[in-house]
Amino acid sequence: MLDVRQLAAGYQGNDVVHDITFHVDQGEAVMIIGSNGAGKTTLFRAMCGLSEPSSGTVVFDGADVTGEPAQRIVRRGFGFVPAERHLFPRMTVQENLALGAYPERPGAETMEVVFDLFPRLAERRKQHAGTMSGGEQQMLAVGRALMSQPRLLVLDEPTTGLAPKLAHEAYEALAALRDRGLTLLVAEQQVPLAMAFSERGYVLENGVISLEGTSEELAADPRVRSAYLGLS
Amino acid sequence: MTDLLSRLPAIILDGVVLGLQFGLLAAGLTLVYGLGGVLNLAYGQMAVISAMAILFAVNAGVPILAAVVVGLITGGLLGLIFDQTLLRPIYRRQGEARVLLSLLLTLGVAFMVDGYLNWNDPTAGLTIQIGGGPIDVFGVPMRRGSIVGSAIVLAVFGLLFVFFRSTVLGRAVRSVIEDEEGARLVGIDPSHMLRIILVLSGVLAAVVAVTQSMIRPVTVTAGFSITVLALIVTVVGGLGSVSGAFLAGLILGVINTFATSEIGTFLSLIILLVAAAVTILIRPSGLLGVRE
Amino acid sequence: MTERFAEATGTSAVGGTEEHAAQALSALFVPIIAIGAVLALLPLWLGDSRVLMSVSVLGLAFAGYTVGFNLIFGSTGQLFLCVGALAGLGGYGAAIFADTAGLPVIVAILAATVVSSITGGLLSWIAVRRSLGVIFTGIVTLIFALAFHNLVLGLGDLTGGESGFLIESGRDTFLRSDAPAFYLMLALVLVYLVVHGLLRRSHVGWAFRALRDDEVAAELAGVDVARYRVLAALIGGAMLGMTGAVYGLTQGRVSPSTYDFAEVDVVVVVMLAFGGIGSLFGPILGAVTFTVINELLVDLGHLRLVPYGALIIVLFLWIPRGVIPTVGDLLRRRRSPPG
Repeated sequence: MLDVRQLAAGYQGNDVVHDITFHVDQGEAVMIIGSNGAGKTTLFRAMCGLSEPSSGTVVFDGADVTGEPAQRIVRRGFGFVPAERHLFPRMTVQENLALGAYPERPGAETMEVVFDLFPRLAERRKQHAGTMSGGEQQMLAVGRALMSQPRLLVLDEPTTGLAPKLAHEAYEALAALRDRGLTLLVAEQQVPLAMAFSERGYVLENGVISLEGTSEELAADPRVRSAYLGLS
Repeated sequence: MTDLLSRLPAIILDGVVLGLQFGLLAAGLTLVYGLGGVLNLAYGQMAVISAMAILFAVNAGVPILAAVVVGLITGGLLGLIFDQTLLRPIYRRQGEARVLLSLLLTLGVAFMVDGYLNWNDPTAGLTIQIGGGPIDVFGVPMRRGSIVGSAIVLAVFGLLFVFFRSTVLGRAVRSVIEDEEGARLVGIDPSHMLRIILVLSGVLAAVVAVTQSMIRPVTVTAGFSITVLALIVTVVGGLGSVSGAFLAGLILGVINTFATSEIGTFLSLIILLVAAAVTILIRPSGLLGVRE
Repeated sequence: MTERFAEATGTSAVGGTEEHAAQALSALFVPIIAIGAVLALLPLWLGDSRVLMSVSVLGLAFAGYTVGFNLIFGSTGQLFLCVGALAGLGGYGAAIFADTAGLPVIVAILAATVVSSITGGLLSWIAVRRSLGVIFTGIVTLIFALAFHNLVLGLGDLTGGESGFLIESGRDTFLRSDAPAFYLMLALVLVYLVVHGLLRRSHVGWAFRALRDDEVAAELAGVDVARYRVLAALIGGAMLGMTGAVYGLTQGRVSPSTYDFAEVDVVVVVMLAFGGIGSLFGPILGAVTFTVINELLVDLGHLRLVPYGALIIVLFLWIPRGVIPTVGDLLRRRRSPPG
């Protein structure tokens, strides 16, 4: 479904990530793990159209979307939840979700689905997004992305700023989505959580993909174990 | 003292009439800044050009209502032209560089328009007469033009309110003001929204020209003073907030009328200027603003 | 070329060898003297025409205004849209101090200069304390300019209001004759250039460049950004005020339109943008060019705003750094092609 080849991206002419090649097939849950500064956010932003890649290609569902601006990629059935979430702070939960369906009018059923997944959001329908806690904002961000019924959901560090319990809950919700057949791609620093959740993964280090494999393979790899799992 | 008290109702009503004009004027300017980070210093000229278009139509024998429509369309077109031409280079910059460039380029346009219009016919002015005698409001005789003009402004504000709160497009526009990247992530194209808002701001400028001309003539020389007033009210109301513009407009309108009647024209303008300066220094986001 | 040499030796002149210092100073003084010499010849050529002489004096006044604005905006990035108002403080101040308060002309001029200087410094200090960005500094100073204009109109008894202030002081002195007035203004402008040039070569100039390029980095490097900004505004304000004061006295009259935003600020911005924001001699090039252009177009009257407006657009779209720096860049690229 998503095919990224030799993607390079960065700022003002200096590439932060180079030669990135990976793919996500329909129905899969894939992770890209790496520590802070490895380039995950730069990669995702370039892939999803918030910034322009300097070279390489991004193909989604057979269509070349390289360099397309985010507002167009998103309409192809591609949902992106960035690390900073970018919610609309002075609009209510309901309004935020409603906009997720743009340009369509929000379907009542879709909104109910989101509220089922995140009961806490249902309680706070009329609350302004800016006044909610980190965990609730994360839920809202994911919920908003779901409103357009995407075929692929991409999340950049969904556990940013979340306490461990909330981080677990977040991944439980993502697992529920995975089980319903949604294709997911996650960039994550908290490796154990990501590993439990995904089938396959890639390791991003210093701007390049250094390892790839199934979650089991990566979990068994000594380099991964020492660098990211704190095991010897 | 009792003398002042007896004048007070008239001052307040006149202040409200003026304030509504201020508010609508600022609404157009503040929307464009809040959405696109662009400061349009040619705004007054847009109002003046619309007024001249109406004048031209009327002189050509077009009935007044149709002429007003011509004026509104002119305003909208000016907004569109602005979007298609100057905005291209302006949008390539970000943040402060963008505001600065927009300020300078629109100032250049303002000069070109002002220079031509004032050279061509410095005495030209649009007046729309509303026939009939004065109407009594709370004991104060108000000219029909003021009443009709104010009613139109209120109606337009009502429409704006409904638009932004209840329509998909209106909410989409608000979302770009709230968080541009967030808007892009839900499929909203910020430059498309900006184009819509620019056309809207042009139409609003034209509406102000129409309603203002019902109260007093709108002359070709008024361009820059209109822009300055719009800027002052925008700053006090808060950049990006239409309700802020409405509120600030009313407050400043009443203050201005009061000061003009009790102190003097020049000094009352200074009071408005000081109000704007104080807002910037103490509460830069203004009364209800979003962007700083 | 002078600019390149200055840039190359500027910082090394600080604490460099005596030879270096002498070279650097001559790089500053030689062009200034040359410009002064060329301009000094002007009255010999134009002396017969009162109109042209008066235009030249006004042109020199604008050169003075532009050097002051360059110091404030070009050197420290503070967008002061109150150039006319600060000059007006000088002009009206001198008129009031001399005529109404009866002070001797020189004292009046100095007192008015001090007032302008302090006002400039105050505006800068406020902007720094409230961390106003470029735009808000521009808006606040614009507000000040408009307030000043209205204050002058409103306090008619003190200022003569709309019709202006006819200045008695200095009436029968050399100030009112064409050629001496010209040379006085010229001397002022040359002094300003020297002051600006020396500042650029000192540690003050280094601080200016540092804070203009990257304010945060400059703070970290120990540059007290606030102090240098206010200093630039104090000196620039003084230049504006003194020019306004002397100009007013040479004309024998000041009026609100003499120091109006549309009359002064707009023109000064265009002059500086054309000549080169931050470049030492940019203001001179700008002032000369636009005084000439304005005179050539004088018959157009109000229509002149059209080419000015067009020029603002063209300048800021395509030559934002101004003529002198852009030419300097082109020359540099010719001599050492990138590689």
